Amino acid sequence: MRLELRDVKYVYAPGTPFEVEALRGVSLAVEPGEVLGIVGGTGSGKSTLVQHMNLLLTPTSGEVLVDGVDARSLEKRELRRRVGLVFQFPESALFAPTVEEDVAFAPRQLGLDEEEVQERVRESLRALRAGDLAARSPFALSGGEKRRAAIAGVLAMKPEVLVLDEPTAGLDPATREELLALILDLREAGISVVLVSHDLDEVAEVADRLCALHEGRVRAMGTPAEVFYRDPTRAPATVRVASLLKESKPEIIGVPVRFEETLAALRTLPGV
Amino acid sequence: MTTRSLGQFYPVSSPVHALDPRAKILAAAVFVAGLFLIDTTLGLLFVAAALTALVAVSRIPAGTFLRILRPVLFIVALTILIQVLFSREGLTLIEWGFLEVHSGGVRKGFFLALRILLLVSSAGLLTATTAPVALADGIEDLLSPLKRVRFPAHEVAMMMTIALRFIPTLGEEAEKIKGAQAARGADFSEGGPLRRARSLVPVLVPLTVGAFRRADELAEAMESRGYRGGEGRTRYRELRFRKGDALALAVTLLVLLVGILL
Repeated sequence: MRLELRDVKYVYAPGTPFEVEALRGVSLAVEPGEVLGIVGGTGSGKSTLVQHMNLLLTPTSGEVLVDGVDARSLEKRELRRRVGLVFQFPESALFAPTVEEDVAFAPRQLGLDEEEVQERVRESLRALRAGDLAARSPFALSGGEKRRAAIAGVLAMKPEVLVLDEPTAGLDPATREELLALILDLREAGISVVLVSHDLDEVAEVADRLCALHEGRVRAMGTPAEVFYRDPTRAPATVRVASLLKESKPEIIGVPVRFEETLAALRTLPGV
Repeated sequence: MTTRSLGQFYPVSSPVHALDPRAKILAAAVFVAGLFLIDTTLGLLFVAAALTALVAVSRIPAGTFLRILRPVLFIVALTILIQVLFSREGLTLIEWGFLEVHSGGVRKGFFLALRILLLVSSAGLLTATTAPVALADGIEDLLSPLKRVRFPAHEVAMMMTIALRFIPTLGEEAEKIKGAQAARGADFSEGGPLRRARSLVPVLVPLTVGAFRRADELAEAMESRGYRGGEGRTRYRELRFRKGDALALAVTLLVLLVGILL
């Protein structure tokens, strides 16, 4: 499916002394089967933005379109199944006695029959390499295991778009690599992924397109190469190295972003 | 990042906000006690006029202030109804089957309703114009003479401060968890009361777990910064009782006195 936001504005606590304008007119689209990276500093509106994608927050003005249809006209539960949202630190919402039951929560809410529920639980736990955690209490797991269990709980709805808000925050490098691999697997399976992150290096590795937010507005939008090479000082290490070397070595061709691309580009230099 | 008001505190700057919390707490306490000494409707109306003027000075919008009163409107209505229907004092105004409405009942109902509204308004004005932490500081200071009889005034105030401080934090956390469960298809508005109560389990369990974790973290953070209880502890914001505070208290007493005499 294609998810589009059109001139979305959002104001927290309007009409009170606590009023905050979090989004000041954001337009973007999540194309079918792509990985869209959303980057931006703290307070740029990333987390507010993603909550509009399944209408947990309703825009103060502007609209959210699902395949061209106003999302407000859709059934809420169906919308939230199709657009799976994983909050930041999703492990803080684990509640069931076992991981298995926690992951089964969403499919049960969908009213699926028990066999299908179990199948989905197994499938999503396997996708997150968390099959061995099924019978354990979510409160007795390590941070990384909890995170994987929580993400499995959303994946079990078989969403068409998976929105991940800072999924790797505070994770060990191994779990983080696994999560990034999962994102690419999902794309392979035709699921669109929205990856919110302030880690430019990880976004560089997996994103097809990039949206940079700044103070509630889209500051830049395009392929990672377009966005990062516009301002290489605020780019991942790969882009910073490549663009610095290019100043003295014009023979470096292209605009490498991913680690492997950058390595390949540098290897074309004589003597490397 | 939902920013919300802490309880009923309405943060604007006004002469009432600027008063020492102790003066406000004392004034509110005296006011509440005084209300029970006023036995004429005229007296209550006079005090009500004075309180209305004070609300205006405090720069709290009338609508916001009336919202504070909303929870007691039911009790007020019930009081009036009971007085009007069951009091047999004064002239008979209406007789309709076994229902009789007497003028004394109407007057009494109005009097009691006004008293309840004034009680709640004074407490409401106190919490609307005093930051929760200042309120706790004020209470600690007013309770400190009780330390001599081993009453843990500092500890009580510290617990109050922490509790108040964490209400919005837990509220935010609850919103987040609710959001996360709603994203997994939870519905909090569907079905009867039992089903709705059950739908809160996925929110309450993580919220409780989180609250315990937070309590642990807070205790550790306080200890690592050398917190050892109230003994010899100084304050960043010292409370200062100024002339204006004494004046405010005096005016409160005066208004009440006039109300009692009317």
